[in-house]
Amino acid sequence: MIASGLNSMLPALAAMTATIRPGSIFGMPEQASTIAPHVDLLYDIITWISVFFFVLIVGVMGYFVIRYRRTSHVAYTDGPTHNTPLEVTWTVIPLILVIAIFFIGLQGYVHMTTPPENSYEIQVTGQRWFWTFNYPNGASETNVLHVPVGRPVKLVMRSDDVIHSVFIPAFRVKQDVVPGRRTQLWFEATRTGDFDLFCTEYCGTQHSQMVGRVLVYEPDEFEVVIEEAARWIDKVLDAKLHLAGTLLFNQCASCHTLDGSKLIAPSFKETYDLFVNGDTRTLADGTTVTVNEQYIRNSILDPLKEVVDTYPSSMPPGIGTQLGDRKVEAMVRFIMRLDETAPGGQLKEVTRAELAELGAEPEGE
Amino acid sequence: MTTIDATNPVPEPPAYAAATDNYLTHTRGFMSWAGTLDHKRIGVMYLVSVLSAFFLAGMFGMLVRTELMRPGQDFLSQDQYNMLFTLHGAIMVFLVIIPSVPASLGNFVLPIMLGAKDVAFPRLNLFSYYLWLIGAICAISSIFFGGVDTGWTLYVPYSTHGTTMGGVIPVAAAIFILGFSSIFTGLNFIVTIHRLRPPGMTWFKMPLFLWSIYATGILQVMATPVIGITVVLLIVERAFGIGIFDPSLGGDPILFQHFFWFYSHPAVYIMILPAMGIISELIAVHSHRHIFGYRFIAFSSVAIAIFSFLVWGHHMFLSSQSPLMNVVFSAITFSVAIPSAVKVFNWLATLYKGSITLNTPMLYALSFLFMFAIAGLTGLHLGTLATDIHLHDTYFVVAHFHYTMLGSALIGMIGGLHHWWPKITGRMYSEFWGRIACGLVFVGFNVTFFTQFVLGSLGMPRRYHDYSGPGWSPDTTALFFKYHLVSTIGSYIMALGFFLTAAYLIHSLFRGRKAPANPWGGRSLEWQCASPPPHDNFSEPPHVGDCYDFSVLEWDEAEQGYHWRHDLPREPGEA
Repeated sequence: MIASGLNSMLPALAAMTATIRPGSIFGMPEQASTIAPHVDLLYDIITWISVFFFVLIVGVMGYFVIRYRRTSHVAYTDGPTHNTPLEVTWTVIPLILVIAIFFIGLQGYVHMTTPPENSYEIQVTGQRWFWTFNYPNGASETNVLHVPVGRPVKLVMRSDDVIHSVFIPAFRVKQDVVPGRRTQLWFEATRTGDFDLFCTEYCGTQHSQMVGRVLVYEPDEFEVVIEEAARWIDKVLDAKLHLAGTLLFNQCASCHTLDGSKLIAPSFKETYDLFVNGDTRTLADGTTVTVNEQYIRNSILDPLKEVVDTYPSSMPPGIGTQLGDRKVEAMVRFIMRLDETAPGGQLKEVTRAELAELGAEPEGE
Repeated sequence: MTTIDATNPVPEPPAYAAATDNYLTHTRGFMSWAGTLDHKRIGVMYLVSVLSAFFLAGMFGMLVRTELMRPGQDFLSQDQYNMLFTLHGAIMVFLVIIPSVPASLGNFVLPIMLGAKDVAFPRLNLFSYYLWLIGAICAISSIFFGGVDTGWTLYVPYSTHGTTMGGVIPVAAAIFILGFSSIFTGLNFIVTIHRLRPPGMTWFKMPLFLWSIYATGILQVMATPVIGITVVLLIVERAFGIGIFDPSLGGDPILFQHFFWFYSHPAVYIMILPAMGIISELIAVHSHRHIFGYRFIAFSSVAIAIFSFLVWGHHMFLSSQSPLMNVVFSAITFSVAIPSAVKVFNWLATLYKGSITLNTPMLYALSFLFMFAIAGLTGLHLGTLATDIHLHDTYFVVAHFHYTMLGSALIGMIGGLHHWWPKITGRMYSEFWGRIACGLVFVGFNVTFFTQFVLGSLGMPRRYHDYSGPGWSPDTTALFFKYHLVSTIGSYIMALGFFLTAAYLIHSLFRGRKAPANPWGGRSLEWQCASPPPHDNFSEPPHVGDCYDFSVLEWDEAEQGYHWRHDLPREPGEA
């Protein structure tokens, strides 16, 4: 069978081309997954076939245009009006070629859509306009996907609002993330590093900022990283919990600002000012509510309950559960003490390690 | 100048007389145009309207390219950018390219090519035009309802419950109305070709342009109702919250994509087939060579029309459609490559031993071949499953469909516009400026869009307002910047070419040399009536015959055009 023959040829050819060039001469990005060389090989084969036919078409066209250019006002030139064997030939040759391309493409595709049994599974949630990655050990990260090198990773993906799509160019993988369904993709990273992750299904205002980083680690380092990702919030000293919010804020940043400027949701500055003055807000149903700690917490845990009249209710309701109690608490304190956590609208820079150590950071109390 | 010899016993020769009365001067006044049933005037009205819409959507495209020239926000906010690329796409597809060739040039040329006085249903024809106009007003009014930022594809649930902009329903309504305009035009042409062919013009003696318009008509009539129903369902869901597509209401967003592409893939061929028909005419006429492989070209139009109904799923390889369906759709997709390749090879063979002139229409035809080759070949990358996964929804796709829609469909249309300009207006444009402008468009186009193939392969997603920001790697931003910069510069060169085209064409209306009946040596019937044609098209029945047999023509120095050969018995006597 053609397919199985090609299957055995592919790795050999891929290994060959991978050694003769650093990336694709036609502009494919760096290769960082096991399937990338296969995809690039196929891409190159198709491109070379295209180059051949393009040169043939334009070459013949150019030759005829020069060779048979008009020199007088002759109204008529004699020549063949058809040639059935020739026409059948140039129908059949492309047909054979595209059938061949189809089968080669099919091989790679079957491989790409079948995650290995032992894949490491990460849950992915797409929301406007950020990604959340949940790990088996309970770790939850925003816009940063940690993966180990040399181990198949399966992403199980869902959307909480509109259609998104995960695209990691260096891995040559992409899959739409559709509300109401689970979709999946898998890859095996071949080298450590920092790679782009894009949303490639148009999802509104901040679509071009729905980008994340894929960080690939050596396996033992990976274990440390996700352990840290699961535990860091627990290690934060209570006195510094408000500062932990600065590390969580990127999840809020697509809708909320720190400096009072308006996106689609209230700026945290606006909430903070109301909180400090003990003011009230008018809700969409006409009632008023005092902006206190409880109000801020409720707004995170149940964003559709007390909706302000000036903004539509577009915050995903599941965020509180996703974050967990301690991170919600961190965000509440972050907003209540915005003058320390984001003085002048600028996020204070802290590291996870600093938050777990006494005295490493000047206290605001 | 020739006159008709009334004593000639053989069937009357074509009316070469430069008629004093033509369709432009036949009646005067605004109402004589607004209420006209003359297919030529309706064609001209369409032409002006479609080109105006092309200008508007082209400007939107230039704004989009200008914003993308540098990383960071320059002068368009994210929402403004999203609105502009949406309107650029929607106007270009529904208001410009779909009606461009059939409704404007087709309307003008088709009945004359058949030797007929008009289309089969002149009133329906005028009604189509007014539907287009209402659709256009509806689409543009969306700006005043708060704009629309869904992309021309209107994917749910974003379009039903994701966007807060109020222009979705006006645009959906516009697509519905424009759909009917398109259906009526297609129906009209199908009936016209069936019923009004002159005696002696069998199916295989029709100009190939008519075959392509016929195949297009079939697609318009059969595919367009699906998009009509789909946008109605969309409006119902958005306006009344009835769950059809939105999963939070129990609907299925993938269903929308199936409906949408069931129309919109055939729509690609509604756009490209008429342009292919034009190219068949242009290449034969401007190389004075009988078209090579008439039947293969004619059948390939029909084959494309049929296959195009079976490949819509290739737009949905990553939508979560089942892998088995993806495999089937990929296989059928490749079948479309064959008739397209056959056409290209036949056009090339037509050039063989021809007498090729590099005037403006021919330069556009050759540009078409160049760009259509790239458009078709890069379709292989996208039809192949394993490579499409990487290239899907990147600039590779943007480049591919601009090569198809602008580089092929619209370039073909502009070639046809130059080819038939003397016939439509009775004036010759400046060849010199025509060639310069064609060169600018060609160079500008390729600089703009070829770069985007590389950009897409490198991973740049489409519909992005920016390629820098908090989550972006500076290396990626710097890499994409180089290509975006080149692409934007290319788009300015292309725009310059189009403005120049507009300038010399308008200039020719006032200062252009009077056009002879047959400036290029065309053999199909439209070259047998005066330029511009009289109100009834032909004062005498034209010669039907092999419309690619140029041996009956000869050059007339005095007329600066071609006419029937003196030594043939049917040749009208010289004055």
